[in-house]
Amino acid sequence: MLKYILKKILGMIPMLFIITFLIYFLLDLTPGDAVSHLMDPEALARLSAEQLEALRETYGLNDPFVVRYFKWLLQLVQGNFGYSVSSGVPVSQIIAESLPATLELSGTALLISTLLGSILGVAGAIKKGTIGDNVLTVFGMIGVSIPQFFFGMVCILVFALNLEWLPVGGRTDPSVVSFFGRLKYLILPASVLGISLTAGVMRYARTSMLDTMNKEYIRTARSKGIPEWRVNLIHGFRVSLTPVVVLVGFRLPTLIAGSVVIETVFQWPGVGQVFNAAVRASNYNLVMIVALLFVIMVLFASTIVDILTAILDPRVKLDS
Amino acid sequence: MQDQTVISVKNLKTYFYTNQRCNKAINGISMDIKRGKTLCIVGESGCGKSVTASSIMQLLPKLSRIEEGEIIYHSEDRGDIKIHELERNGKEMRSLRGQDIAMIFQDPMTALNPVYTVGWQIVEMIRAHENVSKKEAKARALKLLKDMGIPYPEKRIDEYPHQFSGGMRQRAMIAMAMSCNPKVLIADEPTTALDVTIQAQIFELMDKLKKEYDTAIMLITHDMGVVCELADDVAVMYMGNIIESGSAREVLKSPGHPYTKALLKSIPILGKGANQDINPIKGSTPDPFNRPTGCQFAPRCDYACDKCNEAMPEENQVGGTHMVRCIRFQEVMADGK
Repeated sequence: MLKYILKKILGMIPMLFIITFLIYFLLDLTPGDAVSHLMDPEALARLSAEQLEALRETYGLNDPFVVRYFKWLLQLVQGNFGYSVSSGVPVSQIIAESLPATLELSGTALLISTLLGSILGVAGAIKKGTIGDNVLTVFGMIGVSIPQFFFGMVCILVFALNLEWLPVGGRTDPSVVSFFGRLKYLILPASVLGISLTAGVMRYARTSMLDTMNKEYIRTARSKGIPEWRVNLIHGFRVSLTPVVVLVGFRLPTLIAGSVVIETVFQWPGVGQVFNAAVRASNYNLVMIVALLFVIMVLFASTIVDILTAILDPRVKLDS
Repeated sequence: MQDQTVISVKNLKTYFYTNQRCNKAINGISMDIKRGKTLCIVGESGCGKSVTASSIMQLLPKLSRIEEGEIIYHSEDRGDIKIHELERNGKEMRSLRGQDIAMIFQDPMTALNPVYTVGWQIVEMIRAHENVSKKEAKARALKLLKDMGIPYPEKRIDEYPHQFSGGMRQRAMIAMAMSCNPKVLIADEPTTALDVTIQAQIFELMDKLKKEYDTAIMLITHDMGVVCELADDVAVMYMGNIIESGSAREVLKSPGHPYTKALLKSIPILGKGANQDINPIKGSTPDPFNRPTGCQFAPRCDYACDKCNEAMPEENQVGGTHMVRCIRFQEVMADGK
């Protein structure tokens, strides 16, 4: 196992190298002069051609592409992520400020969707064909097809504006720093994100469970005379868990990238919002780092999924 | 103690309901499973052999039910238990399953749960019925595996089913089935998925268990060769009916039903070469939703006459325990000699 993880991490290095190159290359292709984002347009218009050229020279914008790339990479390896072009704040500081917010929101949502999804899915499979199962299936369909922003807005309208139970958006009230004071802000966005993610997990869990319950070892389990709940949970659910874990595992990257839509609807100060703003402002330094973070998370998630699958299913061998 | 009946089945009818149609999978069968004896149920695919086993274990699929008849388990300490009246997954039925009546299945590749070790699955069975510690249960599981002839049981007990070969898995299944010393062992084609050399070993093992523990065995098979080797009693099934039954000697020596006779004729004999005449039974089994009016076998039978199409023949006692459901059984028996 340890050997496998080490191998996997070593394998990530060339992959990351290629990906950083691609990110840098693609962003270099985007139209527009980087200088134009550095100062306000009026000042820019008053600059002479020589001054403009000198400015480019100081920022190293005239170097060949490969040289610029390696300079950037070197800085990156040393832990210098650059500065936000628009505000001058270090990128690392921006990430450090927005990442906890995103982790808080997506983590809660992931937890809600995983627990709720697997419980409802398994319950639906056990009670297959009953009214309850049909209702769940219909809700699952609706859940998969309703856009998150719409669902979010309806929830704001009902729970925040009409009922006034919960705040409309934001992450915290600066005057209240207690845990429960902050929890109030988390409930609505986390529930909306969680419930919209639940539908997928639920459908997955239900199908997987139904598949397992038709297997012959379930009949064997019944023939042993063990109680029905043991047949369902210990024999059925335990085997059906693997595909569900894979699905949830591949959702891990959203923990970092956040849900751009939900964060925007609820004005949640997370990475998703930062990324959104950075792309619009052509704030390339920031865009590159966030994209890179996302890529690392995807690679990380795939390793986690591999390991979890091997733990859950003894037939899967990691070292081969 | 001789010929003590452990389970008696009387006029059992099990029907399946699909799309508003009713498939009479078992249409009134009676049999006795006796202590220390092997009862072989023979028949083609789809004749109701496995449904009989599932009915006794109350492991029928949801869309089927026992319509009529009785299944009675003659318990030593609890008197007669009417299995057909018990709730399917109720406490009483569960206490019978595994402890009094255990079952092994056709395909050992899929009958064991892939995510638990073999030892764990045997321990689960023991602990479901007896109040023993995990350690004790594991020690018993180890002994069972050893008794079933599994090499290196200390190592094997912690391995997963996929690390076992087919034959070993079936041995593990039998170890599990025998773990609570059941009075009855139901084996549903236990060797169909195994190759022939392993088959012989498994049957030898089952025969040993029968003698050592006085277990009653109900063996479902479609292999007449197996019947000749192992059976004390035989019941031949066709389209949900037992068409001939009796002691193995009676049925195999002088079959009274054309179907039994045809089954015996269709076995190739080893060493006779490729040119021997194998006589397969002509035609195929009828559609269960569109059955013949009289004797179910009549359309495929060489002895069929007009009278056969009128009604299913009654049970004829031919002496001893031998029973035949054919109106021309005397001719059939005479022909064999």
